[in-house]
Amino acid sequence: MARSKSILTEARQIERAVTLIHLGARLQVLESETDLSYERLLRLYKEVAGRSPSKGQLPFSTDWFMTWQPNIHSSLFLNTHEYLNKVAALDEIDAVIKAYQLYAEQMKAQGLEPLLSVTRAWRLVKFVDNGMLTMTPCSRCGGHFVTHPHEIARHYVCGLCHPPARAGKGKLAGSLGAAARDIGTVSTH
Amino acid sequence: MTPDQILAEIREANLSYLMLAQSLVRQDKEQALFRLGVSEETADLIGMLTSAQMMKIATGNQLLCRLRMDDDVVWNLLTSHGKGAANDGMSRLHASILMAGRHHEAA
Repeated sequence: MARSKSILTEARQIERAVTLIHLGARLQVLESETDLSYERLLRLYKEVAGRSPSKGQLPFSTDWFMTWQPNIHSSLFLNTHEYLNKVAALDEIDAVIKAYQLYAEQMKAQGLEPLLSVTRAWRLVKFVDNGMLTMTPCSRCGGHFVTHPHEIARHYVCGLCHPPARAGKGKLAGSLGAAARDIGTVSTH
Repeated sequence: MTPDQILAEIREANLSYLMLAQSLVRQDKEQALFRLGVSEETADLIGMLTSAQMMKIATGNQLLCRLRMDDDVVWNLLTSHGKGAANDGMSRLHASILMAGRHHEAA
């Protein structure tokens, strides 16, 4: 890996890495997005997070993004990410960081658990870049949602316009569950 | 409200808006573009305003900022129109997704 000679470049990379660690990114994200060596990243991680990074492989499947609640969270993040990319010229990783901060902040404001981790958000952007995932407008509300490519746009209805029958039956705190359950009871009256 | 009160309230609102907008732009310009829904040129201008300029701009009988959702879909979602209050969380999230998708209005 080509090491950057510039101290300023390195300082910026360290700053990015620190931001990503604070957001909870896995070490693989840092390795991929900076030119810092594995050893330095590991030390930085321990210093910033106060613990060793979690081990194991990154999730590599696109399936997670297609399940009901994760799809809603991923769509909010990706819309924010696209927004930033359309209005400003940002480095790829900075766009991910800034969009993720805005997403996490919105979740906090609404008292919801941020289901999407920054690592997943980063993966999502990679999947979209590779053409493995895309966004399709919902035929009812017009909002753009994360889908597999080649989704037939004319027939596509998003998970919010048409929630699945058993949506939100889980008891996860801060999930959309309570809301969805109550729709169920309201509609039976 | 008397006409004087109206002018004072509008000036107050404009000033609050400009001050908030300026600190957002200065803190993180790209995120401010998303938060404010303005173009980069406008954000640059707001970022450079002096206090005296702000006071001058804020004075008048028109508000400087306008509503960002001017269509029924988003508006109904935000107000949870025709649905139970329990649905609020989902509707709000739905509205957020739709609003986050509207970058063409900023440029």
